[in-house]
Amino acid sequence: MNIIATRGLKKSYGKKSSRFDALKGINLDIKEGESVAIIGKSGSGKSTLMHLLALLDKPTEGKVGINGQISSRLKERKINKLRNREFGFVFQQFFMNSNDTVLNNVVLPLKIAGVSGRERKKRAMEALKTVELDDKARSKARNLSGGQKQRVCIARALVNNPKVIFADEPTGNLDSNTGKRVEDLLFSLNVNNGITLIVVTHDQDLAERCDRQIHIKDGLIESDSNRREKEQASEVALPTNRPSKKTGSLPKKRNVKKGAKQ
Amino acid sequence: MKLWDIIKTTNSNLLRNKGRSFLTILAILIGSFTIIMTTGINTGVNGYIDRQMESAGGEGYLEIMTSSVADLAMSSDFMGGGDVKEYNPEKDSSAVQYITNKDIEKMRQVKGVESVKQFNALQAEYITRSSSAKKYAIQVSEMPTNSINIDMASGRIVNLSSDVPEIAIPDKFVSPLGFKNKDEAVGQKVKIAVMNQITQRITEHEVTISGIMNASVVGMGRSWLNTAAGTDLYNAMTAGLPAEYKDQSYFAVAQLESGYTSNEKVQEIKDKFKDMGYTAMTVADEVGMIKSFFDAITTVLTIFGAIALVAASIGIVNTLFMAVQERTREIGLMKAMGLGKGKIFTMFSFEAISLGFWGSAIGIGLAYVARAIANSLASQTFLKDLPGFTLIEFNIISLVTVALIVMFIAFLAGTLPARRASKKDPIEALRYE
Repeated sequence: MNIIATRGLKKSYGKKSSRFDALKGINLDIKEGESVAIIGKSGSGKSTLMHLLALLDKPTEGKVGINGQISSRLKERKINKLRNREFGFVFQQFFMNSNDTVLNNVVLPLKIAGVSGRERKKRAMEALKTVELDDKARSKARNLSGGQKQRVCIARALVNNPKVIFADEPTGNLDSNTGKRVEDLLFSLNVNNGITLIVVTHDQDLAERCDRQIHIKDGLIESDSNRREKEQASEVALPTNRPSKKTGSLPKKRNVKKGAKQ
Repeated sequence: MKLWDIIKTTNSNLLRNKGRSFLTILAILIGSFTIIMTTGINTGVNGYIDRQMESAGGEGYLEIMTSSVADLAMSSDFMGGGDVKEYNPEKDSSAVQYITNKDIEKMRQVKGVESVKQFNALQAEYITRSSSAKKYAIQVSEMPTNSINIDMASGRIVNLSSDVPEIAIPDKFVSPLGFKNKDEAVGQKVKIAVMNQITQRITEHEVTISGIMNASVVGMGRSWLNTAAGTDLYNAMTAGLPAEYKDQSYFAVAQLESGYTSNEKVQEIKDKFKDMGYTAMTVADEVGMIKSFFDAITTVLTIFGAIALVAASIGIVNTLFMAVQERTREIGLMKAMGLGKGKIFTMFSFEAISLGFWGSAIGIGLAYVARAIANSLASQTFLKDLPGFTLIEFNIISLVTVALIVMFIAFLAGTLPARRASKKDPIEALRYE
């Protein structure tokens, strides 16, 4: 089942002569439980795409469907609620209130949702336990290391039990060891909790670990390797052995070239 | 987000930049403190005057002067201003400024007027117990009516119909005159000296103290004589002057009949006097003049306070714009996490309102301290002789009103930054540069 789908998605900035088309028509179906990497150089439109998928921005043309609902038909209040309940966000720069405690940072989405104090704390502690930072709950966020900060951000993204986590360069600010730990955490959430993972990155290794790599270039999908479809296709041949995610192959030309005009 | 969470977040946000919040609160505090103090003084003064008024009595008692004198006192000519104008015997002649016996006769014809008489200006030189004792300067007036209630500390007010010359003196004279206490002074004889206007010879006149008065704004610190004493002194002052001169005075006093003391009837009679060219004032009118004088002063001070508040609200705008700027990313994050525009607006509005709240709350607290100090200083110094006069009085309703108005102004000031915050685009806010 598709959790997010787009049809003919276009986004332009500016007007007339200074007009810049960031996205030129994107058709995409993301299934529930998938892990998707959106890859591209800076300026390719990958961040714009993520913003549109996450309903942070409105497309100039085209449609975004979430769980079968067309976003443009939803009221702002409904969209806010949807983002709050169904989505979690992890950013490269963490975006935490560094003067506040870890617990208070994690609690924020629940606070916005209007969850009561005790329930809030309970769920935040559970989320912190998942990222193995429950012992740091009372520490000030500024006293954490980069890797710990990102794990707190994951806990914050997780605390609402979202269906989708959007991660924008989640390991971009981390060294490879701590980066790996954060990656492992994200993928274990994907595998164990069935959370759909949408990662924007230009880190090839991270992209490789995803089920599916979508390459964006000049506002269009250049390639889309849907590994699950491949797996399903090869399941007859390899019924028991699920290949390690680490050994994913580069996207192949077989992938559907989408975009252009609809 | 729940309201309680918004309030808590608001307050912790204010604490993030303590110095800045404190300075903004200080600015609001100055404005609200000024307004609270001036309204406090207004309440205190007016409250005292009202209480004095209630006890003053003076039913059906009028003080009358010619309208040309009354106009002169109100006009800029009195202050040396005004243009040169042509002489108009109707208005400018000194003849029309005096009240003569002929005027008194005319006033007596007005329906409802029981009695009218000249009010003779008396100028006493001094009061003393004996020719060899110490002399003290004193202001005396003839008691024009017995309808005014005088707050007596001991004894009674002068008896107007008594043949014995009597005087009622303020209590501040008791010990200088050598009396042990108020009660001892009552019934004692003292001497009032006046100077003859022609010979400049001073004569002393024996009067009996009928009572000791508490100080009050109604009496203005004067001593009161009964008719017998007043006539005595006036005659001594004016002995040798022609009768026509003695016939003139600036004031007349009238007593209305008992059926004519309601406000409407008094107004009717005042209007009638006005048509005849006289200006009549009741005790309430005179106290009203004092009141409007204080009102004018406190209004000016309140305007200063309001100006300070306007300046402070610009400070609020400034502070919150900075806060919005600093917290751009946080606002973006919260919006991404689904916090609506309205809630963001509410958050910043609450921040403005709580700046206003703390400003006015601390202002009220300081005003209480200042009131205690000012009142105790005042009661030891310039209000010493006016018991029951508390300079500054607060009432809860006006305090709450001031606080609410300050918070409302703060809210209005906060709408601008709050609107900017609520309109932040989450993507712009989260963009990393």
